[in-house]
This record gives sequence, structure tokens and C-alpha cells, in this order.
Amino acid sequence: MSKTQKRVLKKILFYFVLTIIVVYLLFPFYWAVNSSLKSQAQLSMTPATLIPRDPDTGEISIFTRNYFAIFKNGQFLRGLVNSSIVATSTTILSLIIGSFAAFSLGKLRFKGKEPALYVILAMTMFPQVTVLSGLYAVINALNLSARFSMIFTYMLFTLPFTTWVLTSFFRDLPKEIMQSAQVDGATPFQTFYLILLPLTAPALVTTGLLAFIQAWNEYLFALTFTSIDVSARTVPVAIQYFSGEFARQEPFGEIMAAAIVVTIPIVVLVLIFQKRIVAGLTAGAVKG
Amino acid sequence: MAKKELSELGKEEQKLALKLLTPTLIILLVIAIYPLGQVFYTSFTNRTFAGTGTTEFIGLDNYQKLLSFSIEELEPVIDEETGKIKIDEDTGEKVFETPIQVLPRQPELHRPVSIFSFFGNRYVIGAVTPDFIKAIFNTIIFTIFSVLLETLLGLGVALVVNSEFKGRGMMRAVMLVPWAVITVVSAKMWQWMFQPTRAGLFNMLLNKFGIGTGNFSFLTNPSLQMPAIIAVDVWKTTPFMALLLLAGLQLIPQELYEAAEVDGASKIRQFFTITLPLLKPSVAVALIFRTLDSLRVFDVFQVLLAQKRYSMASFNYFQLISARQMGMASAIGVIIFILIFFFALAYMKALGVDTE
Repeated sequence: MSKTQKRVLKKILFYFVLTIIVVYLLFPFYWAVNSSLKSQAQLSMTPATLIPRDPDTGEISIFTRNYFAIFKNGQFLRGLVNSSIVATSTTILSLIIGSFAAFSLGKLRFKGKEPALYVILAMTMFPQVTVLSGLYAVINALNLSARFSMIFTYMLFTLPFTTWVLTSFFRDLPKEIMQSAQVDGATPFQTFYLILLPLTAPALVTTGLLAFIQAWNEYLFALTFTSIDVSARTVPVAIQYFSGEFARQEPFGEIMAAAIVVTIPIVVLVLIFQKRIVAGLTAGAVKG
Repeated sequence: MAKKELSELGKEEQKLALKLLTPTLIILLVIAIYPLGQVFYTSFTNRTFAGTGTTEFIGLDNYQKLLSFSIEELEPVIDEETGKIKIDEDTGEKVFETPIQVLPRQPELHRPVSIFSFFGNRYVIGAVTPDFIKAIFNTIIFTIFSVLLETLLGLGVALVVNSEFKGRGMMRAVMLVPWAVITVVSAKMWQWMFQPTRAGLFNMLLNKFGIGTGNFSFLTNPSLQMPAIIAVDVWKTTPFMALLLLAGLQLIPQELYEAAEVDGASKIRQFFTITLPLLKPSVAVALIFRTLDSLRVFDVFQVLLAQKRYSMASFNYFQLISARQMGMASAIGVIIFILIFFFALAYMKALGVDTE
């Protein structure tokens, strides 16, 4: 075999492996899209078809009513609203409170900094399920509404995360900025919100996005705290308990349509902020 | 004078630092530390949720109920007429005692978890709460296999994406997609692909390739449940693993490979002598990180198997919400906490804290 032949073969092999990876990662989505465009009759066809086809004629036939049905269905829309309220509130609160703590941990000198850092790091690994029964008792005792309970308790994972990631961003900002601001007579707090905070704006966006995704994804607390208040269900819980308009069994056509609808905005966000997310993820998990 | 002013400034800085930390600490106190203490305390009581009975302090009873298990040998049954070991006429195998006959009944009845053979003898594992012992098993098996597969696949994907090719940026974007999907949504997508008829993707495909008759029930057949659930998790988290490892790969200086190339080392040799050793820290951190996550797995188990098969976390949820056993649920929470605590220590040691 000549050298060029070998090179061509290698290239073909490489792209073959690459294609397998892409298919593996994306095929489940394709299947969800495909299924969301099928009617109940098309869904129960055996064998299942790779594109929506008419059960009798075998012609391609696309059924879009699943998408209209989920938006007519109150439970899904309510889920979207609840998820948006809960995830946004938690994210904003965590960013504000977390950036205070992160400034303190990343730029100020004080006694007890090391233990404080360890506490925050330990909290990022806290198993939420452990405190489930304890939190449930606290929430029942305080008589908090389900939505507020979620906003409040989601900070158990979003707050340590934002604090930890932002601390490393603050630490990386040059000391000279703070010193020159101090020489100009700015108090440390003024330095923080007038100079350092604007500089960390990109980090805030990334961290906020990651915290938002975590909160948007959360299932255990949502399932537990909305067990008494069905109207507060977030998207994951609503999708799990989806009941369709006509179908007696689980309405998978509508569930797949809902799955696509909730996934697209997140995917778009992720694609826009791709580079920053990767940086943020690695800062959160790999870098100390 | 100047020195005094400096320490004055230092004091002010200290004050400000503590002030800024206070909100975070208060919130964590209310939603983490206090409930944790409450859970520890409740785990020693027989508290039930919304129950009418009074709560009593019962010491370690909950833990004993959850964790006590026994292994007993099952003796072959002797035929009373012949005095020989009884053989089943249909299967031609020895007949053994039933587990109920050998498992302890005092102080609590042990029920069978599983039966296994070892050197021709047959044993039974019994436990007071078989579901929890099984949940521990399930969680550990899930953790070992999914973390192992994710690491291997993630490493493969990271190595492929790390080489130069057209559309590399695009590829990295594609990798983020499964990671960004809500876990419950991905579980639902897979549940639909796992349908036990040829309307489901896997049965359709397997049937096309001549395997089975198109009615594998992946989620109800006990021997297929774990592989199915591991497959869902591996799909969802491989990209995350790949991204972490990719970041590690990019830290390896290119010069090392160039030098190895000059010395005539083969690509495979380069992988084992340069890539793997230098990637070790990233792999270690990613491994511990994923292990911590897998040990508390809830979403996929709850959505796909619910009460058919538990993970530790989904059993905790069941005890709390369906069985309303707050004391019991708390004890499960504490057990999970202790397990994860040790892994977290390893993780913190691997990471370290940088104060400056």
C-alpha cells in the first residue's frame, strides 16, 4: 500500500468513527422528532418507521397535531411558566448572593478563609437526597408555597456552585486593579461593584446559564415539593405525569413533542454560549 | 502610624469579607446544615409524616432494619422414603429447602434478597428490608458500569475531537446537546425507544437483525433493567466526560509529541507514555465527580423503573412520600450521606483549595 493510499484510508476511518459518534449522540433526538410527528395510529405501527408514514398506504404523512395539543394542554404551559419562574429566580438570587461571597473569598484577606473555601467546595458535592426529609419538614413547618420552596431549596446546589466558580474568576483578576482603585479613594465595596463586577460580567453570564440549566433540570425536589400542589409542577414533573387528550395509554406522541419543545431553547442557548460553557464547566469541576 | 493605618485597613477588609459571606452562610445554614442535623436526629426516631402516633426515640432500630442481612446455606431436601437427596423429576436437579425455612425470624423476619450457588452449595441472602439491600446493589452496579463506560467512551470521543479536522467546532457543539437535555426528558425519550413491541426502536432494530421476536421488555424484565438504565445514563453523561477530558488533553504540551515523533515513537506508544500519564489528573477528577453523581442517582430510576427497582435515592423518596416513614427515610439519607462523604473527601484531596 502506498503512503497516499494509507493516508486516505486513515482519513476515511477517522470520518467513519466521527460519524458513529455523531449518530450516537443525535439519533435519540431524531427519533423523538420523528415520533412527535406521528399520530397515535402511526405510533403503534409495527415495525416502527424511520419517518412518519401512513399506516395504510405507506406514504409519508406528517402529523402536527401533537404540537398544538401540548399548547392547548394547560399542564404543559403551566409547567413551562413554573419552571421559568423557579429557575430564573434561583439563578438571579444565587448570582447576587454568590458574587458577594465570591468577591470576599477571591479578593479579600481575612481569617478563616480556608475553612470557608472548604465549606463551599464540600457544599457543591452535597447529596440533595440526604436532606430531602429534613427540608420537607422545614417547608411544612414554615408553610411555604411549593414554588417558593423550590426557589429557596434549589440554592442548595446553585449557590455553592456559583460561589465556587465566581471565586476562581475573581481570584484571576489582577490585584493592581483593586490597589489603584483604593489609591483613588474607593472603598473595597465600591471597587467590587463599580470595577470588578463589570469585569466579571462574562463569567456571570456563563455561571448563571449553568445554574439555570441545573435548576431547569431538577427533579427530586420538584417532585417532592409539588406532591401536594399540582399547579406548581415544573416541566420535568409535568412531562412525567403527562396525560394526553385522547390516548388511554401514555401519550408518547405528545410527550415527544413536549420533549422537543423544552429542549430546543436550551440547545440554542448552549450553542450560542458554547465556548463559555465549556470553560465554566471545567472551572467548576476541574480547576480549584 | 502607617503600620497602624494598614492594620486598620486590614480590619476593615476582614469586616467587609465577613459581611459579604454572611448571606451565603445563612442560606446554607437554613437549607443544608439545619435539615442535615434534623435528618440525623430523625433517623433515630420512628417519626412518620402526618401520622397520628407519637414520635419515639428508637436508637439504631432504623439502621438495623435497613442494613441487617444474613447469608444462610440451603440444604438439599432428603427424600424420606429413600433417604437420598431428592431430585426434581422435571429438571433433574437437586431440590433445596425454601429460603423461608432457613432465614432468621427473630427479632425481625428476614426475607430473601437473592439465591446463589457457590461450589455446588446453594446459599440465600436474606434481609429485613430486601428492597433497600437491593437498592444498594443496584446503585453500586449502576455506578461501576456507567462510570466505567462513560470514561472509556468519553476518552474515545475526546481523543477523536482533539485531532485537527474540519468542523471541529461544530462537533464540540454537538457534544453539548445530550448534556443540555433535561434528565427526565432524556429518560422519557429512551423509554419510548425501549417499548416492548416493534413500535419501539430497539425491538424494531433487533428484530430486523434477526434477534428476538420484537418483544423484549427492557424495563420489566429484571435482567434487562440495569443494562437499559445504564445505557440511558451513559448516553446523557458521556459528552460531559468527554468535555472534561478534552480540556485535560489540551493542557498537554504539543512539544512532547513532536519530540516523541523525532525519536520515532509510534502513535500507540505515544498514547501510553505521554497522553495517558499526563491525563491522569483530569481522569481522576472526572471519575470522582461522576461517581459522586452516580451514587445519588434518582431521575432515571424514578422515571423508568419507579417501584419496580430502586436506587438508594429513589427508595428514600418512596419511603418518605409513599410510605410516609420519615424516620426510615432519614436513616437512608444518612447512609447515602456517609457513603458520599468518603468520596467527597477523596475529591477534595484531588482538587485542593487555593487561597491566593
